[in-house]
Amino acid sequence: MLRKEQNDLLTRTGPDTPMGRMFRLYWVPALLASELPENDCPPVRVKLLSERLIAFRDTSGRYGLMDEFCAHRGVSLWFARNEECGLRCSYHGWKYDATGQCVDVPSEPEASGFAKKIKLRSYPLVERGGVLWTYMGPPETQPPPPEWEFATVPPKQTFTSKRFQESNWLQAMEGGIDSSHVSWLHRGDLNTDPLFKGARGNQYNLSDARPVFEVVESPGGLYIGARRNAEGGHYYWRITQWVMPSFTMIAPRGNHSVHGHFWIPIDDQTCWAWSYDYHPVRELTDTEVAAMRDGKGIHVRYVPGTFRPIANQDNDYLMDRAAQKAGRTFSGVEGIAMQDASLQESMGPVVDRTRENLVSTDNGIIMARHRLLRALKAFTDTGVAPPGIDPEHQRVRSAAIVLPPDVPFTEGAREVLIARPAVAPASV
Amino acid sequence: MVSESARMNSAAEARFRVQAPNSRPRATAVIALDRDSQSVIERLAGAGWQHASFFSAASADSLCDLSGRTRSLGDEVDRADLVVLVAGPGGRAHAASAIGEACSRRRVMTTGFVVAATSAPEREVSKTLAQLRPWSLMVVIAGHDSYIDDMLTALRV
Repeated sequence: MLRKEQNDLLTRTGPDTPMGRMFRLYWVPALLASELPENDCPPVRVKLLSERLIAFRDTSGRYGLMDEFCAHRGVSLWFARNEECGLRCSYHGWKYDATGQCVDVPSEPEASGFAKKIKLRSYPLVERGGVLWTYMGPPETQPPPPEWEFATVPPKQTFTSKRFQESNWLQAMEGGIDSSHVSWLHRGDLNTDPLFKGARGNQYNLSDARPVFEVVESPGGLYIGARRNAEGGHYYWRITQWVMPSFTMIAPRGNHSVHGHFWIPIDDQTCWAWSYDYHPVRELTDTEVAAMRDGKGIHVRYVPGTFRPIANQDNDYLMDRAAQKAGRTFSGVEGIAMQDASLQESMGPVVDRTRENLVSTDNGIIMARHRLLRALKAFTDTGVAPPGIDPEHQRVRSAAIVLPPDVPFTEGAREVLIARPAVAPASV
Repeated sequence: MVSESARMNSAAEARFRVQAPNSRPRATAVIALDRDSQSVIERLAGAGWQHASFFSAASADSLCDLSGRTRSLGDEVDRADLVVLVAGPGGRAHAASAIGEACSRRRVMTTGFVVAATSAPEREVSKTLAQLRPWSLMVVIAGHDSYIDDMLTALRV
């Protein structure tokens, strides 16, 4: 459980909140590069950390992310014309460049210099790995661009999608580090999903539904090791990475791609679930990419023209009680991503953590909250930068590995928990 | 027409969640296995937990409470829903096996907690881990010993 004030502290991420200020110290994914596919393409509305913004790509290819509303009369710049290196408001023609600087106010004489006095709040927007990242914090603490391996491998080795989730970011993120649910909620998918099936490690998962956990602090967050019995008295370890504040990387399976998530607040009641799949040393096959586009693995199919999953709360997640009864799915919801999302959304927009009854196997969640609260206090009280900003903290990998019983996973897997270019991941 | 899920997931509907208590208190026994962990236990015990008892390991079948009285290991494990084994680095957690076995026989959940781990050589932490691991269904190595306070709070101790 968390006390109400702790729950409020962690779940509120608007600009004037402590957690919001801490979140703003990180580069966060804002939108897919494919949403701004060409110069002068239509602008896109973006809501992040409870701020309504507009993203666009100007005539010269520069990306801009700024206050959605024109400084004149508060009109949404989604209606603006993207032309000649700026967004021109369609109401009275005020025009803004990619930094939010007003460059033209047609009703005022140019010589008056009025336009120079108008500037919308804007944030940097950079492309890495097919994702447009933004930094919404103070300019003086802007860190180097993100170094996550999925965003730095060659484009054909990586695939990223995002989906709209109708819950607070924290309960979504906590699902990503709750390793003990996999053997239950997703058990039907380990042997059928094309992006999971066939790995030897799946058999360990299915034959031992009560793993033993070890949670260890890492430089950027946590290692969460789930230990199951393997042959010859050895242990099969699945090691999940959590890097502050909301990056998770799931242990790989066989030669499948490695995957994980970012959980980014849209506001306090919704978030973006970013889902990436990549392979450190090979290109993704056409079949794999087709499966990802088709909503397999950790991805979803969308309501056309949106990033809203086709199975969503408006259609009861396409609940299939027959599939549940037959054991094809455990919850009756199809697909790993929506199995998670449906349950997390059912908690309500912000779950009341004062009423939960955690157990010992929830220590990954308990420690993530502890680290977030500790980092928040250090940042708020003394300005200490939280873990996860340093690019070193971002060059990490998850791992699946079989080790002798007397070797701690932090020792036996030390090398493979670090991302090294052209080195294959540790996977079973 | 709004679906049942859409309606039920809303903040408005959250107001109608049953507020009656949904659990009974769980008893937790926190046991120091070595000298390093003794001071942590003593500090913790002063924090006024409602459902926790604090001990140090004494012999193969007994514990010692903080006032120095000897207690039966079996009786204390019988009373507990969760046993937290606390030890420092260096491999002096020899009592883990006897306590772990008692918990295993009674199907009592165990959590192993290594204190002062970040300042110790990894080899010393490994020695303790090797003693805790066979008897712990959850092992925690935290950077700060204050984590154990948060963990006990989270577990409603």
